[in-house]
Amino acid sequence: MLTIAIAKGRMQNDALELLRRAGVSVSAEALASRRLAVEDETGRFRFVFVKPSDVPVYVEHGIADCGVVGRDVLLETEADVLQPLDLKIARCRIAVAARDDAYTGRAGVLHVATKYPRIAAAHFGSLGVPVEIIELSGSVELAPVLGLSDCIVDLVETGRTLEENGLRVVETITDSTARLVVNRASYQLKAAEVGALISELSSVLVERDG
Amino acid sequence: MEPLSNIPGGMRYYFGREARVRRAVEDAVMGVFDGWGYEEIATPSVDYYALFERGMGHEEARRSFRFTDTDGRLLALRPDVTSSVARAAATLFASAPRPLRFCYAASVFRQRPRSHADWRRQERQLGCELIGTDKWDADLEVLVIASEMLERLGLRDSCRITLNAVGVFNGVAGQLGLNAASREQMQQCIDARDGAALEQLLSRFVKSMPAVSRAVQLARLSGGAEVLGEARKLVSNAQSRAAIGLLELLCEGVESLGLSECFSIDLSDVSGLDYYTGLVFKIYIEGAGARVGSGGRYDELTANFGRREPAIGFVLDLDAVTEIIARGGDFEPENGGSDTATIIKSGYLEERFREAKSKRERGEKIRME
Repeated sequence: MLTIAIAKGRMQNDALELLRRAGVSVSAEALASRRLAVEDETGRFRFVFVKPSDVPVYVEHGIADCGVVGRDVLLETEADVLQPLDLKIARCRIAVAARDDAYTGRAGVLHVATKYPRIAAAHFGSLGVPVEIIELSGSVELAPVLGLSDCIVDLVETGRTLEENGLRVVETITDSTARLVVNRASYQLKAAEVGALISELSSVLVERDG
Repeated sequence: MEPLSNIPGGMRYYFGREARVRRAVEDAVMGVFDGWGYEEIATPSVDYYALFERGMGHEEARRSFRFTDTDGRLLALRPDVTSSVARAAATLFASAPRPLRFCYAASVFRQRPRSHADWRRQERQLGCELIGTDKWDADLEVLVIASEMLERLGLRDSCRITLNAVGVFNGVAGQLGLNAASREQMQQCIDARDGAALEQLLSRFVKSMPAVSRAVQLARLSGGAEVLGEARKLVSNAQSRAAIGLLELLCEGVESLGLSECFSIDLSDVSGLDYYTGLVFKIYIEGAGARVGSGGRYDELTANFGRREPAIGFVLDLDAVTEIIARGGDFEPENGGSDTATIIKSGYLEERFREAKSKRERGEKIRME
């Protein structure tokens, strides 16, 4: 049996829909329950629903053989997992956003509020800009508004939240979509099962994207 | 006073059954090495940082615990054993007849872990090195040793040893005419099994679409010996062909010994390309989320210590293996592996010790009350 960890939230439904088309489906009843681990109808797969940033943790330890999670999380956690498929769902970008007039450092240091400290540090590091990274766990848009930071590095889907808080994207760091990730050992030890899942999913993707 | 209940991250104790299993696994593996004529070698726990930097490369060496000697030179708590063995081969054993066969059981230390799952900062490596021969039968020898070792540990049905040869990748990358940076990116894409990213990357640098698609298909190949036939159809350069030829020989070798079940080919295993020069292999066991052993041929390493000669070796991570076996498995510690002991309690002190001594002379396990 393969255990698949799915990031709860944004991409959960799209991911389950893709898997359903690949012949892996969970009953509505099981989904409606509050159980965090459910089996699919064939008994070949078990799903666990976890916080996005926990997906790479379960997969790296091999507790989950596979996972569906955004590239943003993989970059931030520097997860050591295999990424055989870009599922092209949950499309968004990681961007630098600021109020129009405030995107300059105070006293030579740029103050950056973010949920993605590693990505932010790497980005400004590559530009040679000295930064102070202020790690927040939510409502990052508030930081420049209240003067905690000069800018933010955050996930942008539509840009509406930014707009409503008087911020705009000044620079896109990278694009992100959901990926199928696989544990390194499972890829070898359960080669047949993992291979079958990858090929079923890729034919669904080919059909969808033409 | 500072409370001492805390243990530094990545460090741990072993006791009880786990400690016994660990000891027994170590003895069993060292017994296999000994059985193949490998001499045990113990290397210094502390050595110059420069040794490891030359031996493992900067990236790996800088994960080590470092401190300075009285003369200001940088020291490290050994992050690997191979570097030190390679130096000994080039210096201490310079005039010894070849090939040299060494084995070791030694703890290595890392200040910075490699990944989240790899949390241990102290790891006991059981390893062997076969130095001074570049024949393919030396490659086969270490593979057979590795599989005997896994069989002794009762892991034969739950293990997999994946094989690759670095020439397959190097030949293709050379033929595509990539520069160092894009070559490294290509390596990362293949290592992550990210076929789409690989295709995107190569399309930017390579004009010939068929060449790109052949490289992408090649990187996807993994499975039994039969994938080597497909691989042959996808490569045209001599280096890749030679590497595939080596893998074919090795597959035939393990097949004729009835060992092919635990082996598979994985042409996308391209980690450590700057270190290895020929065969590379990884050992996986059910229950462990990461590889528990790895090895390969490193013909350039000893040149760093003044004497270039071919060498091959591998290590098994004792702590990872112990964790799996202690959870349950077919391997039972043989000697001294029991909890039960006769408790000596009656009589005067002298009498008790006389009884204890005579029981011990008969080899019985006892415990004084």
